[in-house]
Amino acid sequence: MNTNSNVYTVIYTAIVVVIVAAVLAFVAMKLGPAQDANAKAETLRQMMSAAKIRSTEELYATKNADILQLYADNIEEAYTIDLEGNKTAELGISKDNIELVSKLKPQNKAIKAGEGATLPVYIFKSGIAVIPIYGAGLWGPVWGYIAFEPDCHTIAGAFFDHESETPGLGAKIKDEPWFREKFAGKTVEWGDEPAFRLEKNAEAQGGTNAVDAITGATMTSKGLNEALNTWFNAYQKHFGLGAFFNMLEQHAIQTTPNAEEE
Amino acid sequence: MAQKLKETILNPILKGNPITVLVLGICSALAVTVQLKGALVMALSVIAVTGLSSLVCSLLRNTIPNRVRIIVQLVVVAMMVILVDQILKAGEATYAIDKQLSVYIGLIITNCIVMGRIEAFALGNKPIPSLLDGLANGVGYGLILVVVAFFRELLGSGTLFGFQVLPASYVPNNLVILPPFALILLGCIIWVHRAFDKDLQEN
Repeated sequence: MNTNSNVYTVIYTAIVVVIVAAVLAFVAMKLGPAQDANAKAETLRQMMSAAKIRSTEELYATKNADILQLYADNIEEAYTIDLEGNKTAELGISKDNIELVSKLKPQNKAIKAGEGATLPVYIFKSGIAVIPIYGAGLWGPVWGYIAFEPDCHTIAGAFFDHESETPGLGAKIKDEPWFREKFAGKTVEWGDEPAFRLEKNAEAQGGTNAVDAITGATMTSKGLNEALNTWFNAYQKHFGLGAFFNMLEQHAIQTTPNAEEE
Repeated sequence: MAQKLKETILNPILKGNPITVLVLGICSALAVTVQLKGALVMALSVIAVTGLSSLVCSLLRNTIPNRVRIIVQLVVVAMMVILVDQILKAGEATYAIDKQLSVYIGLIITNCIVMGRIEAFALGNKPIPSLLDGLANGVGYGLILVVVAFFRELLGSGTLFGFQVLPASYVPNNLVILPPFALILLGCIIWVHRAFDKDLQEN
């Protein structure tokens, strides 16, 4: 058989490609649920790390099944809002039906377009509310979870992640605990422009809504700064309008932990 | 025959090591050797890809049209790499490592060792020797990766496999974490390798 004829070559490559495609499609289909479960547990770990449910190390040492349980035990309510700050839907919080808005990229686009965004809010039993942020770093997307104290003004904690920032530079947003720990105790000034500043020497310029950018990671810091402010603006109406506080009252969550002392 | 098989297996690990002698696959050797765990997973992934791709290409060697053989090889290699990536993503324990290795798993496709061994060996040899040749080249690559990662994690973080081994008073050396140090370390390994193996020395 002439393996160099045109007809043979075309048919051969077509068959090889079809077989390879079939194998890959089959494997992707079979492994899909396991991969989704891993991704979901990862998101929960990052959210609970930001909300200070457990330490980051402890969360990463915990098995997936236990992470789901831990989340179900600690979550009070999860729902989505639109850009007007109105609640649009509830998200499942029981262990077997944990619903998350995990695809943040389309939401980021919707925020920028100014319509059609479905933004999640996760309220933990401690009264801490967690929201996601998402934006573009230097090499790929950066995202994170910001946890607010019940006053909805003070940041309780944060966790940042990235796809492919430079190790040792931009990757510090995830790798260096001191960076995310700097956010605890800072504030978000709803309605201000910008609501938060992650800039060079920002801390020295005063204000409680400022964190210094990372040296040597200018583009990653800028991208993260933009992600923070874009998403804070999108949540501003929800947290600013008092809708959030009414919701907390409904759940009888104490909004002023030091009420007795005052 | 047995002698030849032994040669097939041992040569890529020692005398014909793909990294230190052929200087192939340097890119990922610099990128994924900050920690031993990542390097080990990367090494195992490459071993699996080189072995299986060589095996499949060797099985197909008499049917592959000569004019499109590189493309067919590439399709086979790409399939293996995607399979490895998908499996790593699905495993609960390997998920975090896969995230850490990020694009470098996908970049195994462009690792010169894989295509090089298929083109140079698998297309002209029977399946079993080809499989062994692929595996052995992967091992040769992985060996260097693990050695480099051992020194980089030890000196750069004071840990091995994430466990603290150097006293807490040790100040981690930041240069060791950065890619240039991997190149320096590789240079040292090549130096040692050549010093011991007189055949590799040029006049």
